[in-house]
This record gives sequence, C-alpha cells and structure tokens, in this order.
Amino acid sequence: MAEIHLQHLTKQFAGGLLAVNELELVIPDGSFVALLGPSGCGKTTTMNMISGLEKPTSGEIYFDRQPVTKLPPGARTVGFVFQNYAIFTHMTVAENISFGLRVRKPRPSKEEIDRSVQDIAGVLGLGGMLDRKAARLSVNDMQKVALGRSMIVEPAIFLLDEPFSNLDAAFRAYMRAELKRIQHEVGQTMVYVTHDQVEAMSMADHIAVMDHGRLQQYGTPDELYNAPANRFVAGFVGSTQMNFLPATLVLGEGNGGNGRALTLGIRPENVKIAGADAANATLIGKVNLIEPLGAKDVIHLDVAGHSFRVVDSPGRRPVVGENVGLVFDSARKLLFDDETGQAVGA
Amino acid sequence: MASIRLEHVTKRFGSVTALDDVSLAIEDGEFMAVLGPPGAGKTTLLRTIVGLETPETGDVFADDERITDTYPGDRNIAIMFQNLALYPDRNVFDNLAFPLKQAKRPKAEIRQRVADTAAVLHIDHLLERKPGKLSGGERQRVALGRAMVRDPRVLLLDEPLSALDALLRLEMRVELKRLQRDLHRTLVYVTHDQVEAMSMPDRVAVLGSGVIQQVDTPEDVYHRPANRFTATVVGSPPMNFIPCTFSTSGGVVRIVHPGFSVRVLSNDAPHGAIADGAPCLLGIRPEDVRFTNGNDGADAAVFVTEPLGGETVVDLYLGAQVIKALTPPALAPAPESNVRVTFDPQRLHLFDIASGAALVSAAGRDGAFAVEARNGG
Repeated sequence: MAEIHLQHLTKQFAGGLLAVNELELVIPDGSFVALLGPSGCGKTTTMNMISGLEKPTSGEIYFDRQPVTKLPPGARTVGFVFQNYAIFTHMTVAENISFGLRVRKPRPSKEEIDRSVQDIAGVLGLGGMLDRKAARLSVNDMQKVALGRSMIVEPAIFLLDEPFSNLDAAFRAYMRAELKRIQHEVGQTMVYVTHDQVEAMSMADHIAVMDHGRLQQYGTPDELYNAPANRFVAGFVGSTQMNFLPATLVLGEGNGGNGRALTLGIRPENVKIAGADAANATLIGKVNLIEPLGAKDVIHLDVAGHSFRVVDSPGRRPVVGENVGLVFDSARKLLFDDETGQAVGA
Repeated sequence: MASIRLEHVTKRFGSVTALDDVSLAIEDGEFMAVLGPPGAGKTTLLRTIVGLETPETGDVFADDERITDTYPGDRNIAIMFQNLALYPDRNVFDNLAFPLKQAKRPKAEIRQRVADTAAVLHIDHLLERKPGKLSGGERQRVALGRAMVRDPRVLLLDEPLSALDALLRLEMRVELKRLQRDLHRTLVYVTHDQVEAMSMPDRVAVLGSGVIQQVDTPEDVYHRPANRFTATVVGSPPMNFIPCTFSTSGGVVRIVHPGFSVRVLSNDAPHGAIADGAPCLLGIRPEDVRFTNGNDGADAAVFVTEPLGGETVVDLYLGAQVIKALTPPALAPAPESNVRVTFDPQRLHLFDIASGAALVSAAGRDGAFAVEARNGG
C-alpha cells in the first residue's frame, strides 16, 4: 500500500501535444481514486506515468514520499488491469491467476500459491472454474481473471484502465459494487481511469476530473455533483447533462452579478414541471421531445431558444408542443462566470 | 417508404445459427429498434434486410414485394454502418452526392437533393469541408445524409452512435428522434445500448441468440417483459431476480422467500404454472425496492452504496443474495447498516424458473401482488 504524489507532472509528446499539464495530485494510501475525463484529456497518459510506461517531460512522482520517477515499471510494485484483459488463453484459470507468483523469485511454495489462488478466486466468484481453460470463459469471467492475476501479487498500487468497457451493462453494474467491496476488503490504493462518470461516481472515494491535460477538480463524488468547480465539471458529471441558461434570463436584467456575464446551471432532476400559468414557475418552456427511459422520463424543452432538460418520474406527461412552467428551488442553482467558466458563489 | 416483413428467416454460419426462425413486421414509417447483446444476430438481421446475406429459409418482403433474392442494389434500402465509411478526400457535398452520381441522376437533381438533405440535417454550412475537418457529430450527420439522399424506402442504421462520446450521443439521440418524427421514414436501428432502444423508437424488437424474444413499445418491454432475458436487457442497474418457492396452502398462492412473502392476487398465471413447493423467480427493478419502517417486507444489510449524484445505488444483502436498490441520495442508508426493505407491489414480476417466461407482471396495477412480512397475514 502506498500514497501517490504527483508533483507538477507534465507530459509533452514529440509532436508538441501537451497531454498532461502541471498536474498536482495526492492520492492517499488505501484510497480509491478515479481519473475521469473525455477521451484525450490526459487520464491514460497520467496513469502510464504512474506505472512507468511513459516518462514525464517534467515533474516528479512519489510513492510514500520516495521519488520513483526514474524507476523502471518493474521496480514500482504496481499492478495493472487493462481494457483488453491480457490473459493467457491456453492456460487454466488457476494458472493465469497464479502466474505472478509462479514467476516470482524465490518462488513461493505450492501450498502458498494454491492458498492465494483459492482466496482470490473466492473473492472474485471464480471458485468453480479454476481448472477451466481461459479461452473457454465468457468475456465477463475473463475480466475477473485479469483482475485476479493482478491482485495476487499484492501490488502496493493497483491501476485499472477502463477495465469494464468491454463488459455488458448488467455485468458492469454488478462489477461496480464488487470492485468497491474488493477494494474495501483488500485496502490497496486503487487508481481507476474512466470516461464513464457513472463508474467514477459510484465507486471512487475521490475523483480527479481532467480536461485538456489539466486537473479541473479533485473532490468526492458528492462535491463534484453538488459543488462543481467550473462549468466543465458541472456538465460532465450527472447522467443527464446540467441545464445552462444566461443568468439574466432567470435572475432578471442587471442582476447578473457586478457586470460580469454569468451562466446559471440547474440539474434536470432538480426541476419540476408545472402548468404554464403556475404562480411559482420560474421559467416557461415548450416541450420538444419526451424520452421515456422506463424508470424516468427525460423531457426536452425549449426555453427562450435554449435547450433545457427535465428528469421526471413517469406519470402524467406533458404533450409535445405544449408550453409548461418550470419550477426549481433557487438554492439548487449554480452560477458560472462566462469568461473563466469558474463557479461563483451564488 | 415501405413496410418490411421477415417471415421465418433462418440464417446459419457453419454450426452457428445467427437467425433462428425470425419473423418480424416493421410498419411503413415506423422507427423500430433491434436490441440485443453482441452476438445476438442483430447485424445479420440488418444485412439480410439489405441483401448482403441470403437466408437459408424464409423470406423478406418490402411492402408486399418479395425481395429475398433481389440484388442489394435493386432493393432501394440504404444502410449506414457503424464506421461511417466517408470518403476522406472528398468534401461533404461530394460525399452526399456520391450515391446519386452512382445512380447517374441529372446534375440539377443532385444539387437539389444534396441541398435538401443537408438542410434537414443542419449541415448545409459544411458542404465545402472535408470529413477530417468535421466534428464527430457532424461526420455522423454526413453519413446519415449519404444514406438518406437517394430517398430509400427503408433506412437501416447499424449502431450509428456507438463511436461517439456520451454528450454527443445524447445530442444525436434527440436529433434522430426529431428527424424521424419530421420525415416519417421507415427506420430500423440496431443497437446494444438499452438507453438508445428505450428513448428513440416506436417499438423495440429484442433479439437474443438469434431468436426474437419480444416486440413491443419500449415501455411495455420495460414494464411487461416477456421473459427474464428481455427483463435484463432494459433497465440500469438491471432487474433483481430473487429465487423463491410457491406455497398454495389454504387456497392462497404465495411466493415465499426466507425473509418475506408475496401474496399472488392476480389470476394471470397460466393454468398449472403454479405448484405448491415449486421454485420460481420474483423480479423487481432497483427503483421499485423501498426502505421502510413498516412490518411488510424483509430485513436486509447494506453492503456498499454507489452515489451517482442524482440518485444512489444501494447494494443489499437479502439473505445470501445481493440485490440493488435505487433511491434518492437523501434516503440512502449508511453502508454496513441494517435496514428493512419492501417492494412496490405494482411493479413486481413473477417468472417461471425453468423457461424464464414471465407468468405475471403487475405493470402498474393494484391487485396483482401484496407484499407481506415472513409468516405475516
């Protein structure tokens, strides 16, 4: 187990692309941290620098206050799980899981290896299939084997790069809870790279949101969702995107805040639909489209030329083309400076 | 525009049966999604409609014309592939005009049709640009435009949004739904993404292992799944399945679990499906699991919680089984606490354990099920 400290970490590729720009991040010992961002944000490059697969252009990496920037990957006690589960298909499940111990010098005793394999297979729910050839496993079980293979060497730091993106939706939902439980049990420092905000929100203790190589915010899922640092984070986190409107539209002329142009953000789940003439309606919108998703409806509206979304439980639905009133609690609104994108105190 | 009908279509590749006696009718102007996991036969179904595959048995009809043996180019059915396949060295105008030039249409008509198509898709300001200079969403629109420009009688889309990032996918979903509403095209949309299949089409055909599992509106697939398979392919997190047994003592049918029981009030179940002591599966979606202080329901222990922002997934031990509940963050219990849970009786489903077929779905009705505490009255 180890604390990871990234100090002024910068990576510029040969073509000039600044993939990671002055990244400053402390990942506490035993915590589960997600690196979250769209493709090209620098999250995988950051992970590759932690593992040693990429050399930073400048900056330092510390594990437990020891500089490791110049150490080769093999000397860093880092475990990996990649998107395309690198497992040996000609070996059995047990042989795959035990691989890291079998190549270790001095080699642990057979009993020791067997015990570790049993433990890990138990944790991962692979107990019944240890003798099966890996090639005959489902995609889902292959990913579990890949996970087990990294876990067995008990790395100080566990790095996972979009490990669930090839799995089907049902199994992904299952593995989210499983991985969270495993991390709590094992207590390893875990760094999880993903572009999927649901995975990051649901599993991580802390999330580092990145965009264009820069850290946008580092906080708990709750902080990211309820108190985003800027408009990028506000728009990226949340399953239906936050609504953004010119603040003057809602707060009235001259109330935009000291002459600065502001944007108001309100989450679709914090808005209720009312009659167009409702006294408490803050805004009026025209219904463009209704997306029924089963557990909830997403209602797309036009509010003074801006697209606007409301998430509502299914039930009485407005009619497409109808004007409706939109009601929201003013305490849930966020304000962003148009020039800098930064959140400003409401 | 046209209707499409597949009748008893079977297609094999060696020992693999990709489509197994598939019959499906897509109405004129309908938006039909074909939903299924990878390997379900979705793409083979599309390729059979467009004529890139010939079925071993069965027939394909467009309106009432049999087109099973018609050359793909003569079917007037357009397909847009996942990888777009735009010509990188030609500008948007030439990409859109290509199918019309192939068909040797007069120049004036080509100009007119390209202009019309580009206007509908809001890409009329991009006609001079090369694909390399377009955003992901714009490229998507150009590929869609190229499929639409010849005014095909049916438009087939094969996972068109899967390469886009989440925000763009959302935008394109809304855009496609708007387009279809305005243009009334017959649209067949293949996807493995349940959100796409739920949010856009008029109806969904759920495909599993080459077999049509259910054809219904998205809401009916969600609330009245025909079987365990279709219950699993829509809903996130997926439906919980709780193994139970039937009890028919005293003339009352109950679904019994060690922690709770559910009285079956509905007589929808097929005759003979329910036998005393026989195993069954109770299905309940995570959003229909409730935390309660009351007497109904069962004791459970919170295993982990997964905050998603607007809602929280709570993973619970119900006996030895983990089930998922979806709840507003304010109502989420603390990790590792003990709670009492009950199930919305209007949202319960009962499945046959062997076949997986749905026996009873409450689907919003009162009077189908009543949840009781174990040994409760």
